[in-house]
Amino acid sequence: MPIASRIALALLLPALLVNMAVFLLPMGNLALLSFRQANEGGALLEGITLATWAKMFGDIFYAELVRDSVVIALAITGLTLLCSYPIALFIHRAPDRWKNMLVVMCISPLLVSAVVRTYGWMVILGDGGIIAAFLRWLGMVKAPRMVFNTTGVVVGLTEILMPYMILALIAGFGRLNTSLEEAAASLGAKPFTVFRRVVLPLTLPGIMLGCLLAFVLAVSSFITPKLLGGGRVFLLATEIYDQAIVTLNWPVAAALSIVVLVIFGFALTLYGRLARAVA
Amino acid sequence: MTEAHLVLDHLEKRFGAGPPAVASLSLDVRKGELLGLLGPSGCGKTTTLRMIGGLAEATAGHILVGGRDVTTLPPHKRDMGIVFQNYALFPHMDVAGNVAFGLEMRKRPKAEVRERVERALEMVHLQGLGHRKPRELSGGQQQRVALARALVIEPSILLLDEPLSNLDAKLRDEMRTEIRDIQQRLGITTIFVTHDQVEALAMCDRIAVMRAGLLEQVGTPYEIYETPATPFVADFVGRINRIDGERDGNGEIVAGPFRLRAAKPGRAGKVTVMVRPHRIHVATDAIGPEWNSATGTIRRATYVGDVLACEVDCGGATLTVERHTHPGLPIPRGGEAVTLAWRVSDTLAFDRPAALSADAP
Repeated sequence: MPIASRIALALLLPALLVNMAVFLLPMGNLALLSFRQANEGGALLEGITLATWAKMFGDIFYAELVRDSVVIALAITGLTLLCSYPIALFIHRAPDRWKNMLVVMCISPLLVSAVVRTYGWMVILGDGGIIAAFLRWLGMVKAPRMVFNTTGVVVGLTEILMPYMILALIAGFGRLNTSLEEAAASLGAKPFTVFRRVVLPLTLPGIMLGCLLAFVLAVSSFITPKLLGGGRVFLLATEIYDQAIVTLNWPVAAALSIVVLVIFGFALTLYGRLARAVA
Repeated sequence: MTEAHLVLDHLEKRFGAGPPAVASLSLDVRKGELLGLLGPSGCGKTTTLRMIGGLAEATAGHILVGGRDVTTLPPHKRDMGIVFQNYALFPHMDVAGNVAFGLEMRKRPKAEVRERVERALEMVHLQGLGHRKPRELSGGQQQRVALARALVIEPSILLLDEPLSNLDAKLRDEMRTEIRDIQQRLGITTIFVTHDQVEALAMCDRIAVMRAGLLEQVGTPYEIYETPATPFVADFVGRINRIDGERDGNGEIVAGPFRLRAAKPGRAGKVTVMVRPHRIHVATDAIGPEWNSATGTIRRATYVGDVLACEVDCGGATLTVERHTHPGLPIPRGGEAVTLAWRVSDTLAFDRPAALSADAP
């Protein structure tokens, strides 16, 4: 082995060992745990069994849980993209001296904990909140319920994920340049055609990166669905928490965690395929 | 002379407060003419081009193409081909896709698009490279794609924004000839923005020299170079000596150590005298009424291969003198005494209004 490779390996070794210890080992343990069984009190029974997995595949509740989680995460991702794209485009086109300030403004919500922001949304969306008040003022007798249901979760998570989406979009907008849009216009493209044929394809890498990030964060987010869902919205992350902390059924929690990992795997693979196709 | 194809009528552009970027610019461009907009950076030439192309809004004034007012038309309705300084090729499309874009926007049938793209690529000597991506091409090839893309739509006017400034010197000369050839062959009205006077002199039918948003002079390359309207133009289109002086009632000019006559008569008063370095002869016995002459000592001689440049101290004023070299040409040493002579017809004199004496270019 050449000396340079040996040095590289030696330098990589500490990080490799640390990762093994704090990432791979617990993961292995998690996988192992999903093949155990717990009694009512949460104590693990002796022996390896497929009972937990059998229960999950047998119970329609878990299939619906996965489906709902993925659908809601996709909806949140789409909504986050729609809300963030114009902002990211605006920041990308802003003069340099404004750009940093605008980016800081966009990510400043991250300085406030997601818990606080979620409580903020509970106040805004709640029955006594300003939106309900506004709807009542418009003459609506019975304002629609916007917290403790899917609507609340989607609205809250969309806002919470927007900073990440905006950052990812801006990072992926590198190839977009005003003169390309001007060139397209000078060649006879109407504004919407310029967007469809030039802006959209060139921002696709950013869109894909942002969507991957938002989807992964949406599937794994726990606090916001827990609070804004009010225990009525059942998602993978909240269910894992309930199984691990409330029901004390660690094998089921472990199995659901593995399911989440598999979903992430699918998302990453899809992203990789699309990214190659676009490049 | 055919009538004007493109007319700029008191065109003006302001960005916020302060002096306008382009002030009351009026120009007529004939059909098939290649007009150069020449000036230093920030003189408003690119802004003018962008207004013509519809990429910048005119604050005041009008733009007419073939008699039609297009001042407020958006760029996609102007039918102008633009070649950008950075080429602005669509990176996600291949070369053929880039060239075909304008035709697709015009909803031409597929077969026609394919054929015209092929012909356009042939015209710029890129046949067979249609499937390459722009990033796989050299700077010169990208430039050709940009040109083909702008020309394939057969625009009424071609706008070139410093198209050669990103190329190396050799390629620049080559593209200069090529763009001029294509422009002549197609007979397309063209506006060419550049800050390079050699480029402008070599390519353009007429040159409009701009400075600080104002038009200094419009004329053929010959007129611009030989009879510049202002000291600024004289200085911008080539190296030149400059001496301030005063003209008396007989038309004789006293400038520093010199007593001179100028090409054109003018009124008495303060003047700026300018002479191009290569029009000054060294150690000649050319004496007579058509010559101005001076004596001095050589302070420094610089040999750059094709040209020998000498700084000559004439006792109170320094003149730069240039001559073409040949084998056996003696390189003068510093301190050598020389006699200089230049034709009266090469002596440019500009009236210098007292109020505008801070007119340094």
